[in-house]
Amino acid sequence: MNAKHLSAQSRQTLPRISLTWLLIAQALVLIPHLLHVPFWLVGLWLACAAWRIQVFRMRLPFPNSWAKAALLLGSGFAVYLSRGSLVGLDAGVALLITAFILKLLEVRSRRDALVLIFLGFFTVVTSYLFYDSLLAALYSLLPIIALLSALLGLQQSSFAMQPLVTLKYVMRLFAQAVPLMVLLFVLFPRLEPLWSLPQPADKNTVGLATSMSPGDIAELGQSSALAFRVRFDGDIPAQSQLYWRALTLPQFDGRNWSISEHVGTQEPQWQAQGEAISYSIIMQPSTQPWLFSLDVGSSEQADIRLMNDFRLQRRTPVNRAYQYQATSWPQAIRQPQLTQAQQQEFLQLPRSGNPQSRDWARALRQQYADDDTLVTALLRHFNQEPYHYTLKPPLLGSDSIDEFLFSSQSGFCAHYAGAMVFTLRAAGIPSRVVAGYQGGETNQAGQFIQVRQYDAHAWVEYWQRGHGWRSVDPTFQVAPERIERGLQDALPDETDLFQGDFFSPLRYQHIGWVNQLRMGWENINHSWQTQILGYQRERQHAWLKQWFGQVDWQMLGLLLVLSAALVIALIVLWMFKPWQRQVDPVQRLLNDFQRVLRKRGFNREIGEGLRDFYQRIGQQLPEQQQQSVTAFIDTYEQQQYAEQALDLAALRSALAQVKK
Amino acid sequence: MPARLLHIPKQWFAAWLTRRLPPVQRIRLQQRHIFIVPTLIGAAYAIALVLMLLVAINYQNSLAYALTFLLASLGLLTMFHTWRNLAGLTVSAAGSTPCFAGKYGNYRLRLHSDKNEYQAIAVGWNAKQLTLFDVAHDSEQFAELSVLGRRRGWQQGPRLRIETRFPLGLFVAWSQIDLAQNILVYPQPVDEVVIATAGQGDEHDSDEASTLAGVDDFHGLTAWQQGDSLQRIHWKAWSKGQGLLVKQFTEQQGRQQVLDFERLNGDVEYRLSVLCAQVLKLSQTEQPYSLLLPGQHIGPDLGLEHRQSCLRALALYGVQTA
Repeated sequence: MNAKHLSAQSRQTLPRISLTWLLIAQALVLIPHLLHVPFWLVGLWLACAAWRIQVFRMRLPFPNSWAKAALLLGSGFAVYLSRGSLVGLDAGVALLITAFILKLLEVRSRRDALVLIFLGFFTVVTSYLFYDSLLAALYSLLPIIALLSALLGLQQSSFAMQPLVTLKYVMRLFAQAVPLMVLLFVLFPRLEPLWSLPQPADKNTVGLATSMSPGDIAELGQSSALAFRVRFDGDIPAQSQLYWRALTLPQFDGRNWSISEHVGTQEPQWQAQGEAISYSIIMQPSTQPWLFSLDVGSSEQADIRLMNDFRLQRRTPVNRAYQYQATSWPQAIRQPQLTQAQQQEFLQLPRSGNPQSRDWARALRQQYADDDTLVTALLRHFNQEPYHYTLKPPLLGSDSIDEFLFSSQSGFCAHYAGAMVFTLRAAGIPSRVVAGYQGGETNQAGQFIQVRQYDAHAWVEYWQRGHGWRSVDPTFQVAPERIERGLQDALPDETDLFQGDFFSPLRYQHIGWVNQLRMGWENINHSWQTQILGYQRERQHAWLKQWFGQVDWQMLGLLLVLSAALVIALIVLWMFKPWQRQVDPVQRLLNDFQRVLRKRGFNREIGEGLRDFYQRIGQQLPEQQQQSVTAFIDTYEQQQYAEQALDLAALRSALAQVKK
Repeated sequence: MPARLLHIPKQWFAAWLTRRLPPVQRIRLQQRHIFIVPTLIGAAYAIALVLMLLVAINYQNSLAYALTFLLASLGLLTMFHTWRNLAGLTVSAAGSTPCFAGKYGNYRLRLHSDKNEYQAIAVGWNAKQLTLFDVAHDSEQFAELSVLGRRRGWQQGPRLRIETRFPLGLFVAWSQIDLAQNILVYPQPVDEVVIATAGQGDEHDSDEASTLAGVDDFHGLTAWQQGDSLQRIHWKAWSKGQGLLVKQFTEQQGRQQVLDFERLNGDVEYRLSVLCAQVLKLSQTEQPYSLLLPGQHIGPDLGLEHRQSCLRALALYGVQTA
């Protein structure tokens, strides 16, 4: 019966109010996607919307099936051309959006409109895979409300023409649904992914790469994009202690430092010493698997492991914001023993090039037999010679180390670290460049540290038998303020550092209230990431444990069902307000009438018409009662036929007569 | 075969409905009257939500979870909204317009709200033909449902369906109510070539005709109306400047029509149909007529009311009245 009805209803043309809502909803759904879909989709959308509006104004016909087929094939092919494939998330989303746009062209009936609305909800869901910031989430409420309004508009009769009334109803539904949504969000068990799906590839991610030429980190220095946020379990350590390790770059080809091909996954030998520091990090998508940690970091999370070069790495690349807990032992002894082969790797240099530096290294070696003394001398050299710290170093030629050390003497952290490792290796000391971030900005409002891309840094580790790896930072010798206070203090003259970011609030750090607002906003974002986006399996477990103790799946299910029932009951109570229920006055009078007669021994059967009832009992009534009873029945039936307005007073007085 | 198989449950359902929703002329829809089930749209909505949940799980995306849960909660709550959009509505029978057998007549019903605002209430005989009504708070709406007159007499209306899918169409709340409404069906008019009339000078010498012929007086004057014969104009009065008057006297009375059941041939229904056609024909003229049925004598008279009572007598001839 329902199916037939639906087919009957779906043939009905679309109410005007629904079409209006559909057009609005579609625009709102598509806006966030415009940033990442192929640009021609924008044109397709505008063309289809214009066409559909012209159809509505009877200026154009609906496209025929040939036109539709051509549009579908053409768009599919165009997606293939722009994305290089029809599978994968990017192409999939582009196809979904294409379908969403083209469907508009053939929306004639309610059923078409329903398909469009459901496609719309899916498109909103996919937008979350690309943008999950607080603002994006708040924005997405607009398309959701518009889609719901369109859905509601489909059910309204054609008399309802005021879009605001529809909107108001949807908002009320929305408000009622929120408590239940929150409950489900908190208690619904978070499962592991059921199967792996293509992840969004964010082409615009900035961050460290697997190889580093001197200019790369300087380029990162221009970006104020967030890299990660850290919350320490205890006090925040001093700025100069915050060396966030990401990668080691042991390979040098004369120009670039790059990662080793054989970084093993077997955990390196190390000994914890001194006090541990615990912290949790939420990192922004980096599309790379490595994580950030202070030395020597470890994590108990199952998908994180400590790599052979002391970096933490996740099993899969970090394609969306990722939260993890780590503990570090800054004073640990790292790899006190290295095999001959391992040492050779950290002594590797190109066969030729940079002769001046090699000579200088040999001279230093002759001067200082002890490794530590040599390193100290080298650091003193950077400190005392007229080295200059800048984000805009001059371009260097083929013997870049020679040029840097002996002529230009100005550069960024990568230059210093690269030059130092080169010299150490030439002097026979195993060493490597470490790339990561240094420092970070403390948010007083939220007690956490934010590390941005311009905090990217490179420093040096050298190895000594029995002592293991030791970290030194040549940049500290040249520009100690970089390490102690941060990049902006180190480069007061390079005012164009953030020129590309005119609207960046960072530009206005010196204005007190702007800075406070910014800190407050960043604090909100941090909570958003930890509390909402980071509400996954581990966090749910921790939260449930905190409130309900040990909870297993059955208990969780029971808790969910019971509390959902409670919430629904409360909402329903509030909706129906049974304490305010008024009994239908006419019905009440009829009940009174029947009760009076029942007392006199006349019971009206269920389903017996009033007239029939009277015919059955009329003869047994005394004459006077016959009259009053007939009078009541007459008045009552007049009310039923409603040829006159409801007249309760007449009915009431008729009843009074019966009662006499 | 399936139709046959479905027959027994259908009968059982009808009997159950009669017990649960006995015929009443006025009903305020309440819990025991209203049934609610998800619609096909509701099922599609649920499937879409499952797909969204799969996206949320596989991408571990909190926002996708949140949207899925929001839509799920909302969908669930619309069940109560749909139910409320029918509960408390008062439906009552509001008369009917009679019709001829084989033609369509109307039942009128009154939808009245004393509490809520009701939107998109669909009323009809079955789920396929429904008309939408909005009933605002403390107001009433009249719905007319047409029905085919099958046989002359009182025809009882079938159970009518009242349903709503408002707000989102995910659920349908419905009731099938019997308002114990009757419609009067007149016989199907059948034109007979020979109009059986009786009047003065007629060769049929029935009692009726002779009694009518006995009236022989000048009846009076009435104002001329278009269509009156020129021969009957009272010229004297006209020449006296009293305007155009028409003489009404015995001669005309004698032409009064008597529609007599007994004078017709054929079976009862056929005769009633012929009489019906004649009543209709005569009621369009200015002539008084009377109807003779065994045991009944209506008229002579003119006008709409007379026509109505004649038709009613034809419709109910030989029918047991309740």
